[in-house]
Amino acid sequence: MELNTGDTAFMLIATALVMLMTPGLALFYGGLVRSKNVLATTMQSFLCLGIVSIIWVVYGYSLAFGPDVGNVIGNLDFVFLKNVSWEVGTGRTIPDLLFCAFQLMFAIITPALITGAFAERMKFPAYLLFTSLWVTFVYFPVCHWVWGGGWLADMGALDFAGGTVIHINSGAAALVCAIVIGRRKGWGKESMHPHNLPMTVLGAGVLWFGWFGFNAGSALAAGPIAALALMTTQVATGAGALTWVFAEWKIQGKPTTLGAASGALAGLVAITPATGFVTPVWAVVIGAIAGVICYLGVLMKAKLGYDDALDVVAVHGLGGLWGALATGIFASVGAQGLLYGNPKQLMVQAIGAGATIVYSVVLTFIILKVIDVTVGLRVDSDGEQQGLDVVEHSEVGYNI
Amino acid sequence: MNNADTAFILASAGLVLLMTPGLALFYGGMVRGKNVLGTIMQSFFLIALISIEWVYLGYSMSFGPDVGGVVGDLSWFGLRGVTNSPSPDYATTIPQTVFMIYQCMFAIITPALITGAFAERVRFVPFLVFSMAWAILVYNPVCHWIWGKGGWLGGIGVLDFAGGLVVHVTCGAAALAGVLVLGPRKGYGKMSFMPHNLPMTMIGTGLLWFGWFGFNGGSALAANEVAATAFVATHLAGMAGMLLWVVMEWLTRGKATTLGAASGAISGLATITPAAGFVSPNSAIIIGGIAGIICYLAVSAKGRFGLDDSLDVVGIHGVGGVIGTLCLGIFASTQVNPGGVDGLLAGSSVQLGKQALGVVVVGGYAFVVSWLLFKGIHAVMGMRLSEEAEVGGMDFAEHSETAYND
Repeated sequence: MELNTGDTAFMLIATALVMLMTPGLALFYGGLVRSKNVLATTMQSFLCLGIVSIIWVVYGYSLAFGPDVGNVIGNLDFVFLKNVSWEVGTGRTIPDLLFCAFQLMFAIITPALITGAFAERMKFPAYLLFTSLWVTFVYFPVCHWVWGGGWLADMGALDFAGGTVIHINSGAAALVCAIVIGRRKGWGKESMHPHNLPMTVLGAGVLWFGWFGFNAGSALAAGPIAALALMTTQVATGAGALTWVFAEWKIQGKPTTLGAASGALAGLVAITPATGFVTPVWAVVIGAIAGVICYLGVLMKAKLGYDDALDVVAVHGLGGLWGALATGIFASVGAQGLLYGNPKQLMVQAIGAGATIVYSVVLTFIILKVIDVTVGLRVDSDGEQQGLDVVEHSEVGYNI
Repeated sequence: MNNADTAFILASAGLVLLMTPGLALFYGGMVRGKNVLGTIMQSFFLIALISIEWVYLGYSMSFGPDVGGVVGDLSWFGLRGVTNSPSPDYATTIPQTVFMIYQCMFAIITPALITGAFAERVRFVPFLVFSMAWAILVYNPVCHWIWGKGGWLGGIGVLDFAGGLVVHVTCGAAALAGVLVLGPRKGYGKMSFMPHNLPMTMIGTGLLWFGWFGFNGGSALAANEVAATAFVATHLAGMAGMLLWVVMEWLTRGKATTLGAASGAISGLATITPAAGFVSPNSAIIIGGIAGIICYLAVSAKGRFGLDDSLDVVGIHGVGGVIGTLCLGIFASTQVNPGGVDGLLAGSSVQLGKQALGVVVVGGYAFVVSWLLFKGIHAVMGMRLSEEAEVGGMDFAEHSETAYND
């Protein structure tokens, strides 16, 4: 096909927006930790821009989007971006290189999301190793299954912008991380208040902004589906923020800024797989239910006793799972869900979600164990007391 | 006229504007708490000062009808004749007003970059006088030489995709002149100057990286294959610079720091700027990696010369701009961009010679004129804060404000 300048213009901007989400996440997470860990937490998001980009060029793009091998993985035709040029790819209207860059930004933010689960206690070398291994053995295969022509795509699983590939995948990995690495020192006994909530709210704003590129850009063209995705993203997010705030108001007595930020994120996560498949009215329903489910997920964490420090499991795991199923229920644009006479779609969505959870849990567990016996996962108890900024990076966040 | 190209350059202009507030945060976090507002002001206020200058002088001097290959004349004073129909010479598929405002954003951030060299010690009014004079005498002519129709460096084939010479070499040379003329901060070398808010610096880094996609991608001036090439090269060089800088400091000092990640990313981004639309993704990674290593070594060496380039403008933008401009002559390939050139690795050494000439001429000119400006303004009105004001902090002395009030 011919290059379309309108689509290319739109995708250039969308790619930049998705890149900005990773610094936005660094702010979101950075504000939630204690000030002695703010730089280490920021670093764990920021460096994904470095590590994942280089892996993507060397072999990541090839494994995820290279010509299919047995419905499970791409081959090595695109290693070092060989055969990836500025020519327009088959069935697309934008240069191949631009598609490759757009997808790279998704691969960057996914391992960055997981870092919230092991915040404030992981060694820096362990983080580097984990990120490299996890994208290689978990992200690229799952991405290929869903978007690269793998078996989930063949089965008809719907994932518009990454509910399964990104959120269920990172949420499941986060749960394993939180359990294997163990609780922070003093968890449940001393309070671990966020040190800078305005920073977190700023991060949530940047994420919301960037998410327009994430979801609308996933249409890969500046057309009606992009417009639909942009609108459903906006209303689902607003609904998620509202219901989370109302739920905590009712249950815990006060509406909080942290609740508003988390609820917005829950809405964004849940609408991600459905964003180009549902009407705006159903998007409100999806976002509103996500706000409540994810809020209850955070409460549940305390009962179950795992220290998922920044609530990756509740927001991304549960939100992503709900979104994947909701796509099978409410889809009506370009696909039919349960409500539109196609119950099979819901089952396909459940299989996709289930397979991703099982695969991600098992592989993440193995990766963590390997790191634990080689370089070790956790900083020692003294280091954790002092804070990762000084111990791991010889810096402090604030000298005011 | 192409609507998609227009949409892309409008959005890119927004992205490049955002880089100046991003730079204010980047620099603001690195100074001491008593100087954060003064530092932010030195970036932020240039949005006003240079925009005015651009409308009445800058755009015409840079892009107006050529006078002897040296500068544009003043026939476009006040944007006379600059309309919504495309220019026949620049960005021929978008309104000329859009091209004008896009270029304005470059003119704004360039003097803002210089301020990092003399941070924490210069008075507000002399800073304004310097910035205005510098834009007129350095930025506008150099911009014309390279990008203006009829400019002499562009005419002999010196290439600069998005501002390695026009932006980074000029600001780096000016920064060096400023440091030499104005001297170090009080207490330099005796006490340590710790950044007061590194998370703020990281926010600034993220915004700069984001904005840089408009800076380099937008410099294709159309939503086409060249824009995609430049966009990808930009990201990959930024990440390679960050990785290599962090690895270097880990090897030599024992720890990887967030300030290192931020500085490394900016070094990679600055270095790829002149080459972004001319090189392949793999070359971009190599260029960014070289930038991370050499800029790290340059910044580490600064102490040996006793130069208080406070926020490392010379080591990152000056050195990065030079490396990137030369790398264009090495890595450029017409297989990547048929409208570009072949560099050394593609079998042609001519371009590298031209690029080296560009570095010497632009670096030399910017250094000499900046040095004279700093000397002259310092002699007439005194650029430095009084000792008392420097100790108390420029926020209060110059702006009667303090940043943090619990």
